[in-house]
Amino acid sequence: MRPFVAFDTATDHLAVGVGDLDRPGELLAGVDMPAPRAANTVLLSTVERVLAQAGLSPGDLSAVACGRGPGSFTGVRIGVATAKGLAHGASIPLAGFGTLDAVAWRAWRDGAGEEGPLLGVLGDAMRGEVYPALFNVTASGPERLTADRVAKPGDVAAEWSDSAARLVLAGNALAKHRAAFESAFGSVRVAAERAWAADAQALIDAAWAEEAAAGVSAIAAAADITDAYADAHPGTLLPIYTRLSDAEEAERARTAGGGVAPTPRTGVRGPSSAPSGGGR
Amino acid sequence: MIDIRPMLESDVPGVLAIERASFPDPWTEGLFRDELGREDRIWKVALEDGRLAGYGGVMIVDVEAHLMDVAVAPEARGRGIGRALLWELAADAVAAGALRMTLEVASSNETALRFYRSAGFDVAGRRPAYYPSGDDALLLWSRPLAPHVSAKRVALKRRDLILAIESSCDETAASVMRGGREELSSVVASQVDFHARFGGVVPEIASRKHTEAIVGVVDQALETAGVTFADLDAIAVTAGPGLVGALVVGLAYAKGVACSTGLPLIGVNHLEGHIYAARLLDPDLEPPLVALLVSGGHTMLVSVPEWGRYEVLGGTLDDAAGEAFDKVAKLLGLGYPGGPVISRLAAEGDPKAIPFPRPMLRTDDLDVSLSGLKTAVIQYVERERREGRELRLNDIAASFQAAVTEVQVAKTLKAVRAHDAKAVVLAGGVAANPVLRGSLRSALATEGVALSVPPLELCTDNASMIAAAAHDALRAGRFLGLDADANPAMRLGRGA
Repeated sequence: MRPFVAFDTATDHLAVGVGDLDRPGELLAGVDMPAPRAANTVLLSTVERVLAQAGLSPGDLSAVACGRGPGSFTGVRIGVATAKGLAHGASIPLAGFGTLDAVAWRAWRDGAGEEGPLLGVLGDAMRGEVYPALFNVTASGPERLTADRVAKPGDVAAEWSDSAARLVLAGNALAKHRAAFESAFGSVRVAAERAWAADAQALIDAAWAEEAAAGVSAIAAAADITDAYADAHPGTLLPIYTRLSDAEEAERARTAGGGVAPTPRTGVRGPSSAPSGGGR
Repeated sequence: MIDIRPMLESDVPGVLAIERASFPDPWTEGLFRDELGREDRIWKVALEDGRLAGYGGVMIVDVEAHLMDVAVAPEARGRGIGRALLWELAADAVAAGALRMTLEVASSNETALRFYRSAGFDVAGRRPAYYPSGDDALLLWSRPLAPHVSAKRVALKRRDLILAIESSCDETAASVMRGGREELSSVVASQVDFHARFGGVVPEIASRKHTEAIVGVVDQALETAGVTFADLDAIAVTAGPGLVGALVVGLAYAKGVACSTGLPLIGVNHLEGHIYAARLLDPDLEPPLVALLVSGGHTMLVSVPEWGRYEVLGGTLDDAAGEAFDKVAKLLGLGYPGGPVISRLAAEGDPKAIPFPRPMLRTDDLDVSLSGLKTAVIQYVERERREGRELRLNDIAASFQAAVTEVQVAKTLKAVRAHDAKAVVLAGGVAANPVLRGSLRSALATEGVALSVPPLELCTDNASMIAAAAHDALRAGRFLGLDADANPAMRLGRGA
């Protein structure tokens, strides 16, 4: 057994799961609970508790997997920074997965995909905006069709309205923005509210489904732990923000069209015209 | 002089007196006498100059140490006796095979709760109406005891190896330090280029850059020191004050490392770190001291009667000194940060050219206000521009700098006299200002008081100063638990 812990703190709903690199998709122990603004105080005690339920302690871990967002900037950073510390301290690989992917897996497990071939996940981006992501539903799970971004709910509803008949919606933004989709679609099909946020099994599913070199599947398949650590080094993983800081957004608005660097999904735009950071 | 030894039958009357003075439903004499005869119990007393000052006991149940009782005589409290007892009991518990310690605390007993949390205990549960009074019991658990006990032991011999992390503003920093004084590495990744074009630190950018940099900065600090995580005795991190989103990154990372390595975690007050920077320069520096902390975020005078104890004597009522430099530089179109450029211009100017006000110079307290001075500079510049005169940047910079310096020097002298300090520590980024250094040094020389000014790399934000302060915290047995949160408004002097 090579246990790994997966968690996501991007939203007010905290989930922690323990999986096994030798048993794809299997959840050994897990918990999910509302933890508004509390991720930094409850995350590690929850990790220790869930590990203990599986008869494990932090020293037994072979890898760490962490939700990268998008979500609350501070919330995502708490998860990512904690995961970096856990993995770095133990010299074990750090894997990432998308927060919206985990929600898609939760809805898929809940049967939301059986009614239509498309799943639309809407994360709450605050300030009247959403993080939309579209998934194709297959027998083996959701497959992502669109990249992470931030958008106005009305714009997303207009874009998706052609597919409305084939679409089921999920995600925590529905609490605020369901009406925008109802008015654009006429009627909407929505997953059960319990499936709007990821649970522990959904984290394990999303972690295994991540195809990047810094994903659980690649780490599990690596012949050599040193290679896996280099490919999924804790220094490399970055949050997915989709927005710049307010200061940079304002600057971009002022300088629009004037040789402005493209907006990276992660990090900051940088001191010169070159985008900084990982830009993965 | 505190001495800790096993409790004897003859101690029971004195123990009972302290017990009755400490708890609403005290243990009885019979209970204590019964406890002393049991194999699985460890009871200790603390003697202060030979007088019974406190006691405590644990029960060993397999790999758990149940803390039964710790109390300190009312007249002996606040001197670290309870903490010394706690860690003596922990050391004996480890020897008896215990991995962690647990106890219950009444939810209304905030003093006790604060005490155990400052020893690294986390609240793991609540038992409603557990006590006869109807009070809930909070169930507390320590982190793994053995690493804490051994780290504290090596720290007393000044051989402890601490990795410290600092992320309270716009520098991501890590340092490895031996024995609180021997710097093995100090790495600072500055973000100033990412903030400069906005004229100040942008908190969201700071938080993002910390997240990107922290692992690389720590790796570099470990490599330079020639050590790995396995060689360390403890992890230290700035817990406040500072930008909350920036603090959270360093703290969450440090907690993650502490969790997976089992290492003790120590939280340090950033301002305390600035004061300890002086001890890195001068290892023999001893209190009583007065510290003048001047940076972009802080301007304050602090009395340090002994290491680890602080009394804030006064501070700025509005702008911090570094902030005033930044704002004046911005007004004059000189860019960010303002300190170095104003200092450079001032070197060629006349400090008496413009009579800017010396705010708060005449009042009797030790507070200062710098926003009035800033306003005076703005009004002067506007008038000059209105009347079509070219700005004499050198004279403006020199006169502004002279006003700031004169106020700081006067207040510092007043604090030195009031507290009979033998030395003054000048710390924080503004301590880089040569005129402030020079004026303070000559003013103090006439009083026969030494001035300690750490070199620039120790005055600006760094992690060595955090490691230096953490060493003393480790010796005292002060730790953080894994549920600790950042405290952006953390004050000096609390629970020291």
